[in-house]
Amino acid sequence: MVTLQKQLSVDYTKCTGCRLCELACSAKHEGVFQPSLARLRIVKYDDLGLDVPNVCGPCEEAPCVEVCPVYAMRRDPVTKMVYIDHDKCILCKSCIGVCVHGVIRLDTVAMRIIKCDHCGGDPECVKICPTGAITYGTPAQTAVVERHGKLKAYVAEIKRTAKAK
Amino acid sequence: MSIGGYTGKILRVNLSQDTVRVDKIPQDWIRQFIGGDGFAARILYEEVPSGTNPLSPANKLIFATGPITGTLWPMSGRSVFVAKGAQTGIWAESHVGGFIGPELKYAGYDLLVVEGRSERPVYILVEDDYVELVDASKLWGLSTSEATVKIQEQQRDPDVQVAAVGPAGERLVKFASLIVNHARAAGRTGMGAILGSKNVKAIAIRGHGGVRVANHEEFVALAKRAQERVRVNPQAKEMGQWGTWILTAVKQEIGELPTYNHRTGVFPGWEQLSGDYIRPRYTISDRACFGCSLACKKVNYIPDGPFAGTLEEGPEYEGLMAFGSTLGIADYPTTLRANQICNKYGMDVISAGTTIGFAIEAFEQGIITEADTGGLKLQWNDSALVIQLLEMIGKREGFGDLLAEGSREAARRIGKGAEKYAMHVKGLEISGQDGRTHRSIGLSHATGARGADHLRSLVTVDQLGYEEVAAKRWGRDKLPEIINPYTEKYKATAVVETENTYCIRDTLIVCWYSVSWPPIFWMDDFAEMLPLATGIAEFGSTERLTEIAERQVTLKRLFNAREGITRKDDQLPERFLKDPMPEGPGKGQVVHLDPMLDDYYRLRGWDLETGLPTDDTIRRLSLQWAT
Repeated sequence: MVTLQKQLSVDYTKCTGCRLCELACSAKHEGVFQPSLARLRIVKYDDLGLDVPNVCGPCEEAPCVEVCPVYAMRRDPVTKMVYIDHDKCILCKSCIGVCVHGVIRLDTVAMRIIKCDHCGGDPECVKICPTGAITYGTPAQTAVVERHGKLKAYVAEIKRTAKAK
Repeated sequence: MSIGGYTGKILRVNLSQDTVRVDKIPQDWIRQFIGGDGFAARILYEEVPSGTNPLSPANKLIFATGPITGTLWPMSGRSVFVAKGAQTGIWAESHVGGFIGPELKYAGYDLLVVEGRSERPVYILVEDDYVELVDASKLWGLSTSEATVKIQEQQRDPDVQVAAVGPAGERLVKFASLIVNHARAAGRTGMGAILGSKNVKAIAIRGHGGVRVANHEEFVALAKRAQERVRVNPQAKEMGQWGTWILTAVKQEIGELPTYNHRTGVFPGWEQLSGDYIRPRYTISDRACFGCSLACKKVNYIPDGPFAGTLEEGPEYEGLMAFGSTLGIADYPTTLRANQICNKYGMDVISAGTTIGFAIEAFEQGIITEADTGGLKLQWNDSALVIQLLEMIGKREGFGDLLAEGSREAARRIGKGAEKYAMHVKGLEISGQDGRTHRSIGLSHATGARGADHLRSLVTVDQLGYEEVAAKRWGRDKLPEIINPYTEKYKATAVVETENTYCIRDTLIVCWYSVSWPPIFWMDDFAEMLPLATGIAEFGSTERLTEIAERQVTLKRLFNAREGITRKDDQLPERFLKDPMPEGPGKGQVVHLDPMLDDYYRLRGWDLETGLPTDDTIRRLSLQWAT
């Protein structure tokens, strides 16, 4: 049986760049408002009016897992979520360098690698995002939800115009 | 420091001596002033003596944040610049959104104080504990946007937050602004000229730390509920979609859209300056400042016409007013291009537009002629002229050199009765409201500490007729007069109460739109949140917060009093007092200022004759040190 893994997906056209996700993430995981310790990152292009959220995954082949020399970075076989085993980590920081999303980070005070864990299946960033730019689900599911919403609006419009006649 | 929210540190950069010092924030300051505006007022009063030339090294530029800056509380990403005003010579403050305020907190400081004057052009780089004055000779002359990009490239970090001065600030245009994140402006009162006079091109900040509050769990829970309140608020939703453009239609409807240099409040071409018209044609994305779920900033693009290819954030309602209706221009692309020029050069849109409006009317009246303007024929509804004049002001070229002084000084130099057409209070140009059709704003403009100010006590409840809100806030017995925009009765009550709340807003520092239009939060919400953030229980009382607000308003007044400001300066331009509104719903209205001033001084505990705080008031607010 194939289990579709749930993922964080982004729609950069909806992102306003408010960085509430960074705040909520650091507030939950670190008990402090500190975007530099957030497990995701908004990349801002102020001169173009563009903001792009960078989140962890989905990675078909996770470079952070591939590169880790001591097998500290591992993948949950069921959820496919990549997690870090801090007991094994030797702080070589290769995962930071190799991450294509740039969201694995080093806490330079506690000297440890920090990485998104999807908040155990209920991500804070998704809950706080005011525009729905970050969603959580299987890619197919989120697309279906979108289509379903569109269909509902379409049907409502048909009913409205029928009434007007 | 055990108190939550604050970093407890003031960073002082002395440009003359090339030194950096870190001071601790005294605990009694926190209890007396909370933060932001309040700390800045305290420092400015103590350290900048009366009579100081604003553009001399003795003036100080204070960049301040509040205890909740950089937290999850809605719209808490703002910050304030304070100095003695370049244009006005009195108390000056300018708030800005964007991302630079939280960055200062993350770098580990509540305030940054810039002192003295550098001998060479520099920019101030703050990266956590590391502070450097970096050579900026190659940045001099660049636009604010170019300078921002260059500094980020130089530091090899796109997350460095920059507050930059443009060519206007370098040339000491009196209403020069500071621009952060390319298009967010600390616009009013000429902060750009202050920084320019210190030979500083920009302040660049990068912080990797965080903000800790006293009771993290409960604060986060409350902040999340507060975010939810913003999200479901119907006016906030509209603001998210239309930004402040929504005001154009409202102002037109109530006859308060400043037109032809405030001659009237009705503009036939208003539709082309309204949200309904602009958004579908020009808007390409919505953007937000730090920690804001409202996203009122709009990025716009002009696809065709003479300004084709213009891509810029803004303008807001005030920009539409200043370059649209005030100058008789019913053309959105013109206002966007004008706004862009103001951002690139670093100039305040309200002052720039209103000063040009003044010049056009003075030309029309024959007070200035082509001999004065260098051959330019000034007239209403002339897009090309406005763009040309703006560039001339930014470069201080020809006639632009005179206008760069602002309308009060330009009128003084022109003489011949030109003062009559300069729409300003205490030297600061009047914003996009009209006291004749909205009496409480008349009082706000007249009494504002920094001049004609719409952000310090703009009462919207009366103007928009929120009867229930008014009854709850000021008592049912004051209805219906208090929400009738055409009477003076009780208006001081509304202004004082609103001013107090806004004062707390400005010390926290949160966005205007979270407390005013729409009014999502008010004093009791701050009283609920502040003890969780700071751990100081007494901040939980609205009476205490009101007292702190009164202290700050009075301290700013004392600062101005030292510069010679008295009741005689709490005035409006003659037009608002003597020329009845010629048309629209408010036809025939004028402002009767004196009764409102009497009420206002009485409520504030200031002397009726002089408008200065009485000894009793000074003692009650523990401000004896400031006399």
